[in-house]
Amino acid sequence: MGAQPIQSLALASFYLLLIIPLGIFLWFRIPLLNRTLVAVARMTVQLLFVGLYLQVVFRWNNPWINGLWLTVMIVVADLSIIRGSDLKTGRFLLPLFGALVVGTAIPLFAFLGPLLRRPTLMDAQYVIPIGGMILGNCLRADLIGIRTFYSALKKKEKPFLLSLAQGAHLHEAIRPYLREACQSALAPTVATIATIGLVALPGMMTGVILGGANPATAIKYQIAIMIAIFTGTAVTVILAVLMSIRASFTHFGTLDPEAFRKPNRK
Amino acid sequence: MGGNQPIMPETDTAIFVSCLTVRFGDKIPFRDFSLKVASGERVVITGESGRGKSTLLKCLLGFTVPETGVIRIGGTALNGQTVWRLRSRLAYVPQEPELGEGALRQWFERPFSFKTNAHLKGNLSRLPEFLEALSLPASLLDADVETLSGGEKQRAALIAALLLNREILLLDEPTSALDRKNSRGMVDLLRTLKDVTLLAISHDTELLTLADRIVPFPEAGA
Repeated sequence: MGAQPIQSLALASFYLLLIIPLGIFLWFRIPLLNRTLVAVARMTVQLLFVGLYLQVVFRWNNPWINGLWLTVMIVVADLSIIRGSDLKTGRFLLPLFGALVVGTAIPLFAFLGPLLRRPTLMDAQYVIPIGGMILGNCLRADLIGIRTFYSALKKKEKPFLLSLAQGAHLHEAIRPYLREACQSALAPTVATIATIGLVALPGMMTGVILGGANPATAIKYQIAIMIAIFTGTAVTVILAVLMSIRASFTHFGTLDPEAFRKPNRK
Repeated sequence: MGGNQPIMPETDTAIFVSCLTVRFGDKIPFRDFSLKVASGERVVITGESGRGKSTLLKCLLGFTVPETGVIRIGGTALNGQTVWRLRSRLAYVPQEPELGEGALRQWFERPFSFKTNAHLKGNLSRLPEFLEALSLPASLLDADVETLSGGEKQRAALIAALLLNREILLLDEPTSALDRKNSRGMVDLLRTLKDVTLLAISHDTELLTLADRIVPFPEAGA
């Protein structure tokens, strides 16, 4: 038994629920009204587009098209991280792309191969949603990790330079900052893993149950996806920081100011 | 010897700086500065604040890249490849040192976890001797470095530099946060060092008595 379909008119009416939060914003003069309206409009357009596209992708189920779609997702995630970290695109596009590919591919293909034993790894029904879940979390973790790493280095530059002066190689001098970045990036996932299921049913479980699977199967999927997400985020954060170093430090081991854009805070 | 005239290196030169110009945008802290410090010599640079003296030391460490000029440490030109090797010949005490986080004991031990310094770990046995010479109690080793006063941080930074047992010591206003008694204690300790080249920036009259040569730093942009 699959998920019950939702009528388009019913969904359109469901948007009226947003009157509640928008009303709260208006009443308390919380300056989020316009941003929310734009965000909801964007979400609608983006999801409609993705939905249409995925219908085609699922119908074709061509491994090359599926791989291309995954690549597009990774590129979009890559650009989001670069933009959100005030890094210069040209320098960091490839290193962060590499980190995301490795961080996503390892748990994704472990999930599809040894765990599910799918006959084809690039089956759209599995590779796109599972890959998307892992990638989404990698994006979040990378953004936190990269931002924490470079802002910590800039804020605490003197101890870093003193380490270099004391004879540290670059990878030795950056270690405390790498630790701080990993801690900031991975702590939320650790907290989520520790409390999952206590407050609400997580997304993967919900989706699998709505799709008609029994709860026991859903729980196994959820456990597996949490392990996959945590592995992917840990791998991608470490790789993202390490692979970004060549682009962000000078030959003398100091941060290269040319690697960073001026912050564009709205 | 120091100032704006180019100079030729000699074989026993520890620090050789020739025609160094540093530019930060439109600001030129110093232009065509030259200096030669012989091995074992103690040179103190004096001059008004904000003239670029600290920037000179940062150039020797590769933290600031000059626009023009030559820097040699022990005869080897400083560049992006050699800087990693040359830093193992230098010990640096910055002005207003920031020690990071953690206990002071771990802070002293950390440089010896670097591959370059691993073979010097035995030098940590001199820690009690240096603590006593600089009037720092042994109990301070368990204190968090963030709780240390400015004077304690300066003395700790000097101890860390001495533990590395380098040929060349670069000191940036090492006594600025010390009272007269502790300043004298630091100078007395520096006086005991043998075969160490010293290049210091200071206005401290006590430290000036240590110098073989005092070099006035040129005015900004001069």
